[in-house]
Amino acid sequence: MTVLILTCEQDVTADMVVAELDGTGVPVVRLDPADLPGPVALSGEYVHGVFRGHLSVGGRLVSMNGLRSVWVRRPGVPASRVAEPSDWLTEESAQALYGMLRSTDARWMNHPDAARRARHKPWQLHLAQLSRLPVPATLITTFPQAARDFAARFPDLVVKPVSGAHPQEPPRAVPTSRVAPDADFAAVAYGPTLLQRRVAKRADIRLTCVGDRIHAARKAVDPDAGPDEVDVRFATSDAPWRPADVPSRIANAVVTYLREAQLAYGAFDFAEDAEGMWWFLECNQSGQFGFIQIDTGQPIARTVADWLSAPAQPAPPTNGGRAWLLEGH
Amino acid sequence: MRPFALNYARPAQQLEVSVPYAYDSRLQLNVLPDGRLAAHDYAVLRELGATTSTAGSKTHFDD
Repeated sequence: MTVLILTCEQDVTADMVVAELDGTGVPVVRLDPADLPGPVALSGEYVHGVFRGHLSVGGRLVSMNGLRSVWVRRPGVPASRVAEPSDWLTEESAQALYGMLRSTDARWMNHPDAARRARHKPWQLHLAQLSRLPVPATLITTFPQAARDFAARFPDLVVKPVSGAHPQEPPRAVPTSRVAPDADFAAVAYGPTLLQRRVAKRADIRLTCVGDRIHAARKAVDPDAGPDEVDVRFATSDAPWRPADVPSRIANAVVTYLREAQLAYGAFDFAEDAEGMWWFLECNQSGQFGFIQIDTGQPIARTVADWLSAPAQPAPPTNGGRAWLLEGH
Repeated sequence: MRPFALNYARPAQQLEVSVPYAYDSRLQLNVLPDGRLAAHDYAVLRELGATTSTAGSKTHFDD
């Protein structure tokens, strides 16, 4: 039974997992849907009540019925590297590939349906609340007056993209940013705007959850950091990520979140305030983890490899009914 | 007519950096010029930020 990894060639984080799988005896096939059709080829037939499908890449041929798991890591857009790309060919290729893979019994990390839903930040906030995770007061609105009223109730705010996406023409990044005290909220009418109470944090927390395992890491905020330094991705601090312990209440809530989201993998971001409270910020269903492993030494790639190479199970509930393993150290 | 959040936009990081490794389709891994696996050279990965959460990616917004 083969592990299928869908990702681009330059994905060295996937390399960390492939390297772990090598030598275990578990076959691995790695391909980028961007190379379909061409270097990646597929065929599937539905005859006599049975589906049989095959994939090939780089001289490897795998039966889709022989897949034990599919890891959707950083796949390219199907058919995007053909000589004459088109939206039509992309849709044809995507439907053929993912439609056939959906026809198998393979376990997914993460299933495309669950992944698509899990990307919606407003839904993340809702599910976090239902899971009893502390969520900073948040407003998403196109009403300027609602923004003004919210700012009156919560004077210290940050703004961040609702989708997590960034504008490309020209390429720009929109980091989580502190809202100026005298901000004019009129422009809220020109696009849904996510405003959130700023957590005066003393550390950033990343929980990397794989199946029933949690790897917890903490990055202390530089004591000299100003209140405008909000987004850890842009922080000037060079403090490393360190292993951390997870409060049981948070661990239980994370279990609930992943189960309800039907996710096998999730990277949770929290802000730790001065009292030690962890405030939920988001859960990235495909969040990076290599940098955490490099800093902390936590065997996250090994954990991913273990999940992917586990024997197929007849019923694939995510985490349901099993003990949650906390792995801070 | 600019949305409020874009008041806080900044130029995206240059993501198309040159990397010292190349993909080996036989191994299904990226390999350094001396034959070592890129995934095992944490110094290279750290220097390039190749495994790090980013903002402004053109293709992926889950970091």
